[in-house]
Amino acid sequence: MAKRAITVNVNGTEHPLQVDAPDRLIDVLRDQLNLKSVKEGCSTGDCGICAVLVDGKLVNSCLMLAAQCDGRRVTTLEGLLEDPTMKRMQGSFIANNAAQCGFCTPAMLMASWDLARHSPKPSVEEIKVAISGILCRCTGYYQIIDSVREGCERGER
Amino acid sequence: MSTLELYSPTDLNDALRFIEHDGRNAAVIASGTDLLPRMRRRQISPSVLVDISSFTEDLRYIRQAEGTVRLGALTTVTDLLESPLFSGKLSIIREASMLFGAPQVRNVATVGGNICSAASSEDLIPVFMALGASLKLVSAKGERTIPLKDFIVGKRETAMKPSEILAEVSFSPPVGHSWTAYEKLGRRNMLILAIVNEALSVTLEDDLRTIRSARVALNRVSGKIPALAAKTNDFLQGKRVSDQTIARAQKVLASELSLTSDFRGSGEYRTEVAQVYLRRLMERCVRQIGGPS
Repeated sequence: MAKRAITVNVNGTEHPLQVDAPDRLIDVLRDQLNLKSVKEGCSTGDCGICAVLVDGKLVNSCLMLAAQCDGRRVTTLEGLLEDPTMKRMQGSFIANNAAQCGFCTPAMLMASWDLARHSPKPSVEEIKVAISGILCRCTGYYQIIDSVREGCERGER
Repeated sequence: MSTLELYSPTDLNDALRFIEHDGRNAAVIASGTDLLPRMRRRQISPSVLVDISSFTEDLRYIRQAEGTVRLGALTTVTDLLESPLFSGKLSIIREASMLFGAPQVRNVATVGGNICSAASSEDLIPVFMALGASLKLVSAKGERTIPLKDFIVGKRETAMKPSEILAEVSFSPPVGHSWTAYEKLGRRNMLILAIVNEALSVTLEDDLRTIRSARVALNRVSGKIPALAAKTNDFLQGKRVSDQTIARAQKVLASELSLTSDFRGSGEYRTEVAQVYLRRLMERCVRQIGGPS
């Protein structure tokens, strides 16, 4: 079976890639581009740990074929490390002890950054909705919610 | 999945030509949020995926004209949430969309995919059934329109031929003294498959006391198949709105449900919840219409 040539803009760089039909976006990001902030949890869209942005929309990278990302723009946590909003959000997560085992943290940060972009001062309810697709099995949700609120509010100043 | 092929048609006609010949072993993929997990669990193993996800110009739209709302099959659940159309008498679509999956899923999951999956886990099916929706199916040989209630013929079984693609969902918004409402029960609020979900569209006569028509639909009516509660709907038609009518309708509903148990909940529990929801939905709708208090 022939590999398919695609080009995906990942974190601002155009990457020509060779993919097989069943390759998912997460496979390409982790195995070909070595972007290990993208974690594989359930592989069925139930845990959200693999969340990335595709054309600016938060998606589960385990539920998208790599070939479907041809010509599209993908952003992972690695691409936002110098972003001021992401830096504030990370600082807020650290200050509030929002990471326990840390496995959900990259996805939580992606969802929080996405929220901060759209609502500078979200309510607790809005925060809960924004992170509702990501499971934290340490169940440290209160610390995460506090972190997101502070991270967003600091962005407003 | 190692022998899987992916076909990326150039346009919708190309896709239709392809499945006209090779439809039997092919699966049409839009966002894949339901298809890929099922392939991973080996519940289905198509030999080729036909990717229609890029046909957004043709199949992703929300339009209202001449009293009909038309949704392209590739309309995402996030599109539904962001549309100003789904308020008032159509807020049922907004309610259901807010409780659908979670943001990452809503951003890609499509209206067409939800319907074609034809399972009790597909939140939009009861909603569109309560709205009396019809589906436009297209193939290389033409197109046909079929009521959603006739489209779902079994658990994950539809009336769609292997050579067809669902192109559009359409329905007439409720008019007159009418309202719609939706309830969903899961183990948690978000990112959960429903134990019960139930949708109602009801229209009262001008006296605001008599039920002109009622359409209740549930994610499960018999076994794991989403459907209209036909007997309950027949019973409600022409009745006066009262606690007694609702109590009797609940009994009719309980008698027509034939629900099985699984790890999410027992059939008995589902039946109980469905009755509670019937009263809740009826009361919510009647209150909105301004009927008996």
